[in-house]
Amino acid sequence: MIDGLKTMLPLAWRNLWRNPRRTGITLIVVAIGLWSILFFSAFMNAWAKSSKETTLQLLLGSGQIHAEGYMDDPSIETLMDPPDRDLNSALDAPAVADWTTRVVVPGVVQSEYKTLPATIVGVDPAAEARISSIPGRITEGRYLDSSDDDSAVLGLHMVERLKTGLGRRVILMSQNAEGAMSEQSFDVVGIYDADKATEDLYVFTGRAASQRFLGLEGEIAQVVFVLQEETALEDAVAALAEAAPALDVRGWKDLNLFLASMDSYMGVFVHVWLSIVFALMAIGIVNTQLMAVFERTQEFGLLRALGMKPRRVLVMVTIENALLIGIGVLLGMVLAAVTIWSLSDGIDFSAFARAMEMVQTGEIIYLKYEPGAFILFPGLIWLLGILVTLWPALRASKCRPVEAMRRET
Amino acid sequence: MDPIVTCRGLSKTFGKGELAVHALRDIDLDIMPGEIATLAGPSGSGKTTLLNMIGALDEPTSGEVTVDGQPLGGLSRSQLSDLRLSKIGFVFQSYNLIPVLSARENIEFVLQLQGVSAAERHDRAMEAIKEVGLSGLEDRRPGKMSGGQQQRVAVARALVSRPAVVLADEPTANLDSKNALALVELMRSLNREHGTTFLIGTHDVRVLEQSMRHIEMLDGRIDRDARGSA
Ligand SMILES: Nc1ncnc2c1ncn2[C@@H]1O[C@H](COP(=O)(O)OP(=O)(O)O)[C@@H](O)[C@H]1O
Ligand SMILES: [Mg+2]
Repeated sequence: MIDGLKTMLPLAWRNLWRNPRRTGITLIVVAIGLWSILFFSAFMNAWAKSSKETTLQLLLGSGQIHAEGYMDDPSIETLMDPPDRDLNSALDAPAVADWTTRVVVPGVVQSEYKTLPATIVGVDPAAEARISSIPGRITEGRYLDSSDDDSAVLGLHMVERLKTGLGRRVILMSQNAEGAMSEQSFDVVGIYDADKATEDLYVFTGRAASQRFLGLEGEIAQVVFVLQEETALEDAVAALAEAAPALDVRGWKDLNLFLASMDSYMGVFVHVWLSIVFALMAIGIVNTQLMAVFERTQEFGLLRALGMKPRRVLVMVTIENALLIGIGVLLGMVLAAVTIWSLSDGIDFSAFARAMEMVQTGEIIYLKYEPGAFILFPGLIWLLGILVTLWPALRASKCRPVEAMRRET
Repeated sequence: MDPIVTCRGLSKTFGKGELAVHALRDIDLDIMPGEIATLAGPSGSGKTTLLNMIGALDEPTSGEVTVDGQPLGGLSRSQLSDLRLSKIGFVFQSYNLIPVLSARENIEFVLQLQGVSAAERHDRAMEAIKEVGLSGLEDRRPGKMSGGQQQRVAVARALVSRPAVVLADEPTANLDSKNALALVELMRSLNREHGTTFLIGTHDVRVLEQSMRHIEMLDGRIDRDARGSA
């Protein structure tokens, strides 16, 4: 058997190059199919990762702490006190890279022309800049300069809708601690540029300023924290929850369910793509190989006439197919590796990202070569390829020995 | 002496009903060891069909073929493969060499199917090449050889496994006179030296002249069967 393989391998190899056109077509089909799967999976993963990072960096952080009940009814009545000693020391643990507190209440923003719903966010600008990307996204004017800064920073799209602008004033309104409405005019000192949904919702001012505006005595809505290691999320959440048993500590996966489900969606997308590409590839390969078997009927008949058993013909043709598809798979891997490597400096998606606006996509997507995908998908394509070409191989093994006697060569 | 091939009541019909072609009708035939027998007869008389039946390439509609004492009826595809491999050598009109293999590899191929060791394969193939007068051309592929040379390789391939009988269907039909004559000479000398049995379907007079037994077919029947001097 080993001896048989040793002699069948060179025969299979030489047979491959007898019809360079057909071999070439099959190689191209396999290579491009695999390339598209590897590229698509790298792209989807990079996109998901970039979207996730962008969203986490915007406001979400690695996780947040609220008073019990705030998540169901985020209002002035469900605020919390600033972190006590236990929580403070838990937040200063090495696993937590940074943290800050915010006041976040629903309200409205009003210009001379329009009144719009808004979420008023009071921040500590210095700490906020280490946690959120919004302070770095100011396109006009400036960000807030202290917790006491009682000016406002608005999103680009909201500014357009309010028909206001830098240096103008807007009025913020919200329910205050006494249950009455507070209303105060704020200078617009800065405009930030994010995705439309964010721009339309969040109005920023200083945290202490917002507390004065709402009649609060130091209460806050949330603690936002960012971890050193994303992988430590569950442990970190557990440690914080232990330090603050009365509060509601959540990782980002429990704060943004869409984002959390994205990872599994990506897996599904990639597998749907894999199935489609594979189905097309299989049709192409099986067709060419069936044609090849048809053209080589006399040759297979000869092998049978010379005394080769049907099973051995099957093995021989399968070795040919395994070689052929294997070479195509290698080509596809090289092609994909080169593509991914040449795009690893980043694909600029800023124009596309603005047009989409639905998910906070990063503006630049960095493709990364993933060794796991480069083992799994080529292996899968190779095995599945061999499996579907068993059909033509079986046809070859069924060629009748009497075909060897046919006159035409 | 027992015959090497026997056919009893052998019939082969292609197709059904109105379109049925009776290619062989009730053939009885014995081929003795060491014979060179020729199957002659007009085109369509059933020569190829008879060779296919004896070579276990196709199944008769009725009747029985025995090769070297082994009845073919009831053998599986795999068993028939083994029988062809060990007992029958084929020479075809269109040579039918494996194009991607060299002359020597083509000859070795059969031995390899038989499970002969690499060293022995090599030696036996080289000897066969010498015997058919192709020394020096062993590494050529069929595409780089003349028709006459290719047919010699085919003869070497048929003989190297030491079969009980070599079946040749129109082996000279694609060859010019010189090569045809040389091939006939080759078969005769192999027959003399090794006692190889040949059954040759042909209407080439150059071949017929050299045979010891003339079997004439007509409309699927044996019309004449004469042993004569060669
Ligand atoms: N596969 C086949 N299907 C139908 N008819 C066939 C087939 N093979 C041979 N025949 C018919 O059988 C008869 C004998 O053919 P063949 O054995 O090839 O004759 P020969 O070799 O003497 O020329 C012819 O009439 C031929 O047309
Ligand atoms: Mg014929």
